[in-house]
Amino acid sequence: MEFWGDHSDVESDSEWVREVSANGVSMKTTEVEAKLDQGNIQEAEASLREGLSLNFEEARSLLGKLEYQRGNVEGALRVFEGIDLQAAIQRLQPSLAEKPSSRRGRFRTESQHAVSQHAASLVLEAIYLKAKSLQKLGRVSEAAHECRSVLDAVEKIFYQGIPDVQVDNKLQEIVTQAVELLPDLWKQAGFYHEAISAYRRALLSQWNLDNDCCARIQKGYAVLLLYGGVEAGPPSLAVQIDGSYVPKNNLEEAILLLMILMRKFILGKTQWDPSLMDHLTFALSVCSQTPVLAKQLEEIMPGVYHRVDRWNSLALCYSGAGQNKAALNLLRKSLHKHERPDDIIALLLAAKICSEDSHLAAEGVEYARRAINYAHGIDEHLKGVGLRTLGLCLGKQTKVSSSDFERSRLQSEALKSLEGAIPLEPNNMDLIFELGVQYAEHRNLTAALRCAKQFIDETGGSILKGWRFLALVLSAQQRFSEAEVVTDAALDETAKWDQGPLLRLKAKLKFSQSLHMDAIETYRYLLALVQAQRKSFGPPRIQVVDDKVNEFEIWHGLAKLYSSLSHWKDAEICLRKARELKQYSVEALHTEGVIFEGRGQFQEAFAAYNNALLLEPCHVPCKILISALLLKRGLKALPVARSLLSDALRIDPTNRMAWYYLGMVHKDDGRKADAADCFQAASMLEESDPIESFDSIL
Amino acid sequence: MSDHSEPTTPSSTLTPTSEHEHSTSLDSLSKTKSAIESLSSILSSFPSNLSFSISSSNPNPAFSLLHDPQVASQVSYLLREPNSGAGDNNLCRWLYDTFQSGDPNLQLIVLRFLPIIVGIYLSRVALRKPLAGFEAVLLALYAHETTSRAGQPITMNVPNLSLPSVYHEAKAPINNDSTELNLAVISPSLEPHGTVRSTRRARIVGVALELYHSKIYHMPVGSKIDFCDFCVVWAGQDNNDDDRDLKKESESNGRKEGRIPLPWELLQPVLRILGHCLMGNTKNKELFDAAWAACNSLYARSMHDIDPKALLATGSLLKLGKKAMEPSEDLDPTEIRRSNVLVI
Repeated sequence: MEFWGDHSDVESDSEWVREVSANGVSMKTTEVEAKLDQGNIQEAEASLREGLSLNFEEARSLLGKLEYQRGNVEGALRVFEGIDLQAAIQRLQPSLAEKPSSRRGRFRTESQHAVSQHAASLVLEAIYLKAKSLQKLGRVSEAAHECRSVLDAVEKIFYQGIPDVQVDNKLQEIVTQAVELLPDLWKQAGFYHEAISAYRRALLSQWNLDNDCCARIQKGYAVLLLYGGVEAGPPSLAVQIDGSYVPKNNLEEAILLLMILMRKFILGKTQWDPSLMDHLTFALSVCSQTPVLAKQLEEIMPGVYHRVDRWNSLALCYSGAGQNKAALNLLRKSLHKHERPDDIIALLLAAKICSEDSHLAAEGVEYARRAINYAHGIDEHLKGVGLRTLGLCLGKQTKVSSSDFERSRLQSEALKSLEGAIPLEPNNMDLIFELGVQYAEHRNLTAALRCAKQFIDETGGSILKGWRFLALVLSAQQRFSEAEVVTDAALDETAKWDQGPLLRLKAKLKFSQSLHMDAIETYRYLLALVQAQRKSFGPPRIQVVDDKVNEFEIWHGLAKLYSSLSHWKDAEICLRKARELKQYSVEALHTEGVIFEGRGQFQEAFAAYNNALLLEPCHVPCKILISALLLKRGLKALPVARSLLSDALRIDPTNRMAWYYLGMVHKDDGRKADAADCFQAASMLEESDPIESFDSIL
Repeated sequence: MSDHSEPTTPSSTLTPTSEHEHSTSLDSLSKTKSAIESLSSILSSFPSNLSFSISSSNPNPAFSLLHDPQVASQVSYLLREPNSGAGDNNLCRWLYDTFQSGDPNLQLIVLRFLPIIVGIYLSRVALRKPLAGFEAVLLALYAHETTSRAGQPITMNVPNLSLPSVYHEAKAPINNDSTELNLAVISPSLEPHGTVRSTRRARIVGVALELYHSKIYHMPVGSKIDFCDFCVVWAGQDNNDDDRDLKKESESNGRKEGRIPLPWELLQPVLRILGHCLMGNTKNKELFDAAWAACNSLYARSMHDIDPKALLATGSLLKLGKKAMEPSEDLDPTEIRRSNVLVI
């Protein structure tokens, strides 16, 4: 085994006094170098052969290396080109006669190994340095061919492999470097397919690479797979083992490699490399696998990332997969006053999550206000986003407000925030839409209509909810036939499988215009659509993520339709169908009650409404129907009815049926003036009821 | 020009393009020849070396056409004209016919201009301009993908390290739950579309971009730069004062035109292409800078949309781009160790 003296104390090239040594002799290179500078390779070679008793190839290799180290890569290349390296490799290969016996016997003397390893490393190093010289001269693809021949030669010479313990250090070093260089050269030369096979060759053959080198190669390959734009295809069958995971495409392979690299770091085998996590984040988020990313983040030891960064990243991961509860819990930690309360992205995300749940809306208002406060400097542009989320949270908060006063205050604040966001976010169509819905909830239907139209115009009608919203606003204005025109236009712009919600809307519009047979026809078409969908996609498919055509809703809609026509038999059949799909449903219980009531079975109706309220204590229509039933029982039940109706109006102050029955209660109780007020409210509301509630589309 | 169906009603008569793989090179050469001839009648000036190359011994005239800067700039200019997307537009018709020729090399030329087509098309949707010509080309690309995927979704098994793989070993799994593979849909199944229904527009464009991404290795740098520039326009959020000349499309009225809805079905292929532009070859400064600007804009846009997935993807690209811009101080592990004593 030989040893390379490392004179690291010598800094600059000019001061270097080089020595060459072999066969126990060493000599200064000053003279040889002078000859090389004169371009006299033969003489330089001759003096080396004499001085160190070397053969031709050894001398040449040494000369090339000397030139390479002097930085004279052109000279080095000239020297290497003077050696017939392929012939040298041929000589090193075990003869054919040897092969069968050694394959069977698997024995070779150690000395034989040592000799061939030494000779081999001499030749291989020469080829490797030739490749490096070519690389430095910018002749990258030639370099790649040379580099590949290093590996080919290793495989030919040591076709049986070398036991670990016997590997010559120098040989191992050259092999390792060549393995690492080859894919890089192909990449630099723009031959990505060759680079991919070189990477696979590096990673799937046994080169006895050390951890760091293997990690660098794996990372380089993952990067090429992710961004190279060339599809690698699955690895060959030869390397596939039964029951093991075989990546089929670039993303799978890249993610696998990155995960392995993360695991290596966690096990302490390699250094931390922050870009690994960035690559993995990109790869997993573009294929929507953010929960997998979250798992990777959770596995990283504490100390790598600041805890707040980790919480925030995790929150993004969970929220990206719709797990908003988990995301919010993490954000609550990171936004705590002792952590990082002014992180504007975290604040906005928290506010957005809260804006989707009326019970969290008040908390969201706080986050949004803080975000607006911190939106200055480079974050100035986010002020509009803050105002927008504030408006959404306030709007949501109105749903749980305890008094009329509170409600109207929140509602006007919500409008003010959203309107204030408009000049800051002039092209943000989502904002226009949300403002429109807010107007509609406020029963400012003219403004809502303007927003709905603008939204459809600017998005080019590409977003379904825009069409639905426009139809709902028109229906609230009692312009049913226009709403139907809009729905038909939307149906034209929608592919078959997305038409469910529009068809349901259309059925309801027909119903509102008392076109019952048309409504039934539409429902029938919807049912056919559901069946066709089930046929073409099969029952549980990953395909249908959000159930676009909800079969339960169709049967239930039909049941309601028939019951309103007093076709109790048909209504019952449809309701049974609906309940097969969803056993415990407030809506179904509600309709069941209506059917009982229609048939005069008041006790049963009463029970059904009560059950519905047990399922969902805030279900307004059932509260109203119970009150209506109570109203028929005479004076004794009036206080109960009145309190139920007040409760209903607290939850849904624009419910005209609640106002109507409250009026009836007042009338029966003899409070004429109060009754008149209630009836007036009811009649005013009648003119602005949409056929589906506005917040159903937000 | 071949008498294919009108560009306005394209895909109903789509012929499967399977025969092109077996087409002889002679056939492909004649297709290329007629494509070049009809293109030269559309462009005001046509590079003489290209029209010459049809008859000469140029082995791959389609390749020359793909990489010709003069053709690229002229076609780009025409595509940006105010009425370029109309159904009777000659260039759109040429793009449509050329793609439908089924010759893979000619199809690359059409894909080369996809960024501009998509860019202009999406930015003009709200302006109520005629777009049938663009839509015909986009539908042709969509139909091509639908046919070659047989409508099937592109799925992926998310790797799970508790299963051994070709690259690592694992202990025998204890329970089956942890080893179950997680199936992810990268691109959902495709239904045929004969027209661009507005709610399917993003999907149709997204699929065309997926096709572009699969061939991006063959695309000239100019095409990718076009793409990055349009990302900035679509994001509509360039709050960094990088004043590239991007607002050619803006028809002013005091507001920035071009900001478009970016649903995931569109954003996902955009991000994958952008990943390639930014990290595929960081040595091309011009492309890197364009991609960097696009990432910045899309990151700002994701903040405004509060879109967690987009924030993660664009945020990680920004970090990677920043790292790529820093001078690397790592030692080159493939360099031999320097020493004063050279030993045999």
